[in-house]
Amino acid sequence: MQGWRVGWMGLLLLGVGLLAVYLWPRPKPLTTQPSPPTVVHPASPLAPFAQRAVPVPEDNPQTPAKVELGRRLFFDPRLSKDGKVACASCHKPEFAFSDGGKPVSTGIFGRQGSRNAPSLTNVAFRRHLFWEGRSPRLELQAVGPLTAHDEMGMEPEELAQRLGAIPEYAKAFQEVFGEPPTLKTTTYAIAAFERTLLSYNSPFDRYQAGDDKAMSEAALRGMELFFSEKGDCFHCHVGPEFTDDEPRNTALYTVYKDIGLARATGRDEDVGKFKTPTLRNVALTAPYMHDGSIQTLREAVQHYNQGGQPNLNADALIRPLGLTEAEVDDLVAFLRSLTDESFGTNPAFLPP
Amino acid sequence: MKAWLFLLPLGLASALAAPVELKINLRVGDQPLQFAQTYQTPQGQPYQIELLKFYISEVALVRPDGREVRAEGLVLAEFKREAPTQGVSVMKMDVPAGQYRGIRFNVGVPRELNHLDAGTQQMPLGVNSGMYWAWNPGYIFYRLEGVALLPEGKQKWVIHMGTDAFRIPVRLQDLQTRRVQINIPPTGGSITLNLDVAKAFQPGPGGAFVDWRKQSLRQLHGLSPETSLLMSVVYFNMQTAFSLAN
Repeated sequence: MQGWRVGWMGLLLLGVGLLAVYLWPRPKPLTTQPSPPTVVHPASPLAPFAQRAVPVPEDNPQTPAKVELGRRLFFDPRLSKDGKVACASCHKPEFAFSDGGKPVSTGIFGRQGSRNAPSLTNVAFRRHLFWEGRSPRLELQAVGPLTAHDEMGMEPEELAQRLGAIPEYAKAFQEVFGEPPTLKTTTYAIAAFERTLLSYNSPFDRYQAGDDKAMSEAALRGMELFFSEKGDCFHCHVGPEFTDDEPRNTALYTVYKDIGLARATGRDEDVGKFKTPTLRNVALTAPYMHDGSIQTLREAVQHYNQGGQPNLNADALIRPLGLTEAEVDDLVAFLRSLTDESFGTNPAFLPP
Repeated sequence: MKAWLFLLPLGLASALAAPVELKINLRVGDQPLQFAQTYQTPQGQPYQIELLKFYISEVALVRPDGREVRAEGLVLAEFKREAPTQGVSVMKMDVPAGQYRGIRFNVGVPRELNHLDAGTQQMPLGVNSGMYWAWNPGYIFYRLEGVALLPEGKQKWVIHMGTDAFRIPVRLQDLQTRRVQINIPPTGGSITLNLDVAKAFQPGPGGAFVDWRKQSLRQLHGLSPETSLLMSVVYFNMQTAFSLAN
């Protein structure tokens, strides 16, 4: 009887193993192109994950001129109604393209948003965008902040007119797209720039590349916890990007003021579901959660350690973890080892 | 004789296909809408309208026997300040000349077009339409914007109605009585509709209405518990906001 059980367990483990191998993200040859030229900072070692090809949609191939135009647009506040808000106002390079300590961001005319600006680290690899995860690609995502009344607040006609009246832009759009500026081509250029925002120079990446000394002892212990059932972080923060890109309820509240995915679907079971964020450069992107309500990494880890608030929609994996204070410290050390200090200083990612 | 037979189908075809123009008058109640004018909701909230854009699709004229003559195409009707609001031509179609008992259409984008990649769609769809909903892919079907004149000053409000559940069916046919008569002569004609924009503000069950004093209700576009009832109220009201003008 005992041997029979062991046999079944063995088969089950083999099945899980095969599934994991099958599901592990790998480059898709059909939708990819050779990596764009300016993507990796010269200081970056050849980390294993950096060798993956960036997925590029067929209708928006990367070219150096388009990336350069996208970079200028990304940092230009003239893309907003009051001329004061650029993409980079809330996605600041020095904070891994998040909003530098602000729970929510400030848009045109001082209007407050309602959600925390996410990091753009390796955003080329996101399969779903926005906190609900409802936008399929960067080109279409960019329409949101450009037109939202509390972000940049532009109408398509107004944006086209304003950019068309700036000779450098009129010329650059003509060269890159063969037509005058429109909302669509603006988002295509910005998306091309965003696809170059690659970051693979963290201690964790250097450790992966073979540098045994790259991570501290505490970070290594934290890594073991992170990828164990005990810490149980890796089911959602999975793969080279540390995210499954799926919406989940993390039991942050019992009653959510912002209902998350349900705002779009209207379904009760989607209340409080927000997309799993990447953990790359997470030490630079405080505060945390969709509303920026958790100030520090340690508090974020403690939230999961305690199992959150009672919530019927809470993800099945949310439960008290029983981690000691020392284990929480180790996890935080590991999360800090995901920081790529060169990301925010790469001149290719800074204002032109 | 032979030449006459040869020309017959051509002659019939020209007699059958009459050009028809669909026109719209914007109204507030029974008065023509004026953009800079201040109106009052039934609850006494003063407001002005600044912008109205909406999609019309799946248009069909209804014959006396109930059969429908469908007109292909999707159009984006657009009204903004300093532009006319009366007799505005929004769609052209070809239909067989004859008697009809009404028209029906949907305000919205058909489901099969609503979820395609907006990056690859052309006007009137696509992101340049100003109707693409980035966080909730698909299009805004009915986009009404204005300002409320509140004690603290002018506050902008928007009603963005979309998602497949809120495609607004408009049915202006009547086969039972002879009340609705649309005669399309062989030379063509026009069908003019009144759209009572203020219908959106009629109170719903329990007197529920879009109260612009609450900041959260000035952005009516999602399905949060606070706004979903009001979206349904506006949706219900909009189904009867259109009427035949002539």
